[in-house]
Amino acid sequence: MTETLMGVLGQIAWPLALAVAWLAGEFGHRWLALPRISSYGIAGFAMAASQGGFLPDPAGGPVALLADVAFSLILFELGYRINLGWLRANPWLLVTGIAEAYLTFYVVFLIAQALFVPLLPALLLSALAMSTSPAAVIRVVNESRSSGQVTERTLHLSAFNCVLALVAFKAVVGYGVLFSAGSVFQAVWSSLVVVLVSAGLGALFGAVVPGLLRFLGGLARNATVVFALAVLLLTALTDALNFSPLLAALAFGVVARQRRVVLSQVQRNFGALGDLLTVLLFVFVGATLDWRQAFTGVQLACAVVLGRMLVKTLATTLFARLSGVTWRKGMLTGLAMTPLSAFAILLLEQTRYLKLDLLDEVAGVMAVILLLEVLGPLMTRWALVWAGETQRREEA
Amino acid sequence: MPLEPFKSAEALTMGVELELQLVNPADFDLSASASDMLHLLGRGRFPGDVKPEMTESMIEVSTDVHVRHAALLAQLEQMRDALVAAGDRLNVALCGGGTHPFQRWFHQRIFARPRFHELSTLYGYLAKQFTVFGQHVHIGCGSADEALFLLHALNRYLPHFIALSASSPFFQGVDTLFDSARLNSVFAFPLSGRAPFLLKWEDFERDYFAKMEKTGVVKSMKDFYWDIRPKPEYGTIELRVCDTPLTVARAAALACYLQALCRMLLERADAPPAEDDYLVYNYNRFQACRFGLDGTLVHPKSNEPLSLREDILATLRRLEPHAAALESRAALEEIYRVAAGEGNHAGFLRRQHAEEGGIEGVVDAAVRCFREEVRT
Repeated sequence: MTETLMGVLGQIAWPLALAVAWLAGEFGHRWLALPRISSYGIAGFAMAASQGGFLPDPAGGPVALLADVAFSLILFELGYRINLGWLRANPWLLVTGIAEAYLTFYVVFLIAQALFVPLLPALLLSALAMSTSPAAVIRVVNESRSSGQVTERTLHLSAFNCVLALVAFKAVVGYGVLFSAGSVFQAVWSSLVVVLVSAGLGALFGAVVPGLLRFLGGLARNATVVFALAVLLLTALTDALNFSPLLAALAFGVVARQRRVVLSQVQRNFGALGDLLTVLLFVFVGATLDWRQAFTGVQLACAVVLGRMLVKTLATTLFARLSGVTWRKGMLTGLAMTPLSAFAILLLEQTRYLKLDLLDEVAGVMAVILLLEVLGPLMTRWALVWAGETQRREEA
Repeated sequence: MPLEPFKSAEALTMGVELELQLVNPADFDLSASASDMLHLLGRGRFPGDVKPEMTESMIEVSTDVHVRHAALLAQLEQMRDALVAAGDRLNVALCGGGTHPFQRWFHQRIFARPRFHELSTLYGYLAKQFTVFGQHVHIGCGSADEALFLLHALNRYLPHFIALSASSPFFQGVDTLFDSARLNSVFAFPLSGRAPFLLKWEDFERDYFAKMEKTGVVKSMKDFYWDIRPKPEYGTIELRVCDTPLTVARAAALACYLQALCRMLLERADAPPAEDDYLVYNYNRFQACRFGLDGTLVHPKSNEPLSLREDILATLRRLEPHAAALESRAALEEIYRVAAGEGNHAGFLRRQHAEEGGIEGVVDAAVRCFREEVRT
């Protein structure tokens, strides 16, 4: 009897968790003014088995693939908002991006070393810390309908630092493989080839799909569905081949954007489909975390979170005037780039097959992610509000 | 606050104000970037004047006082180049056009200034729906009475300016079938429309303005949203019915058409204006908004039906000596091309919509037009 009950419970665990998380998101938004994604993450964390909840560890399962799809949709949307011409017209923005990403890497590495984290895990942690989670940023931007320089710059810089982080991460993985397996071929394969092929596949989709849309003309009135299907296909393909779905989706978005078949505003977030998958994504991220691991690394986590925030803010402030905005807006851009979690978790998820198990040694990673799960979106939201770029409530 | 004295200006001088759209080049929706643009422009020397407007997604530029077409156009082009350069640094695109084709008015953010917030509270959704973009032309008048004379003498020509400048066929995502949908938004305001028929400044001040002020409805001339209004502090009359055209060249041409027309009217070439002229005023105005150059006017004196297009072409012929005297032949040639052949910018935007198949493509075309990467 109990067995049947457990079986049923196991089958409805995920839909139930999504419903609970969604409710938590709405109430957290109304009562505590929390960004919805923060609540989704906390709910997922609370319901996970490692915290005594009913959600089994989702790692490696079909839910993980769905989370990948959710994240790929978001990365595609981000890529679609990237204007490469802007970097040409305003090279100081490019400088800001490179500076903030590499300085973050360097500072986090120093902190990790100072706190006796072994070399390889320290490198991986530093690479992860470079990135700003585009999922958090784009959801908060869309949720608060913000628009202005802090918004635009946060989006562009986060796309930028994700690519840099991904490349750095893959390089470290390559180095790790060389170190543990001693195979040059495997090392090159798991870093350079993965990066190039993933980006190449994405770019190929970006070139072909808009062409197809143009060819179909009136047949494909709803470009959203076509792009969503293409992202789904691309994610499944890259995932099956052990390439990087994240990089592929971003490259897809960027290239498709240059081909100019415009998504209209209604399709932001990929509509209801995107909303649903976002709940799943953040519940998934929360559910992969284990409080025991998080708790042991809390000291490292605090140092890394603080150091990362300081470096990012410093870099964006330093180049603010040169790139055409006020010091204040520069500083707020740095603060808005605090979120990290979803991107990092999925990156880790995708290196599981290498069986490096390096990161399980770094309890701090989990703590960093957990801390930023709540703090990150909140910082982004505050930065946008302080910059005066959101819809004010009185006028909403 | 009593009406300020009318400051006399040099007759037939002109100045142009343009309200421009700030657009996000990623999705072509309006971008709330006025503060950021003003900050960046404020660092250098802007070749003209630039100020915020009601919502964060518009910006208003104005020229100095000009006498000649060439100088006016040159300044407009310099301002355009400065704006485009600043926009490029901030990932903000700029364009003309009387409306944004698909923005939702309830998404607009009011610019942080006390007057704008007051207006927003008073007019509610009207204020945000007022996210429309117009060109205002000032013409200098030697005296206050001359200003009132011109203001009323122009009543019969007002539809010309609506039809020639019309560039707002799309509104809230649909083709309104109007060439200028923007004026429908302006008309929603209680103090819009025409000025009362008074030809002496002291009558205007005593019999109208003072009484209106006593009612508490208005505080200054700024509270009137008339099609043409006197602007005592500049010594000008201000024509406000034009949509912002897609190019600065068209904006300069429209200003010079008005300048030449005023020169002709000051020579008392037409029968003097009368209150009864206004019987057909709203009807003619509607024809121009709805059908553009294909509209049909009713002549206020003879009550004959007239083709708007023919009426403009006939007026252009009468203006030839004045254009020669004012050195604005090039401007009137552009007006001629619009009326006789290529049509107004509303037609151009409709053609873009048909070719591109998407409403975003309309904004894209407007942006490229403003940069003069494409010809209309």
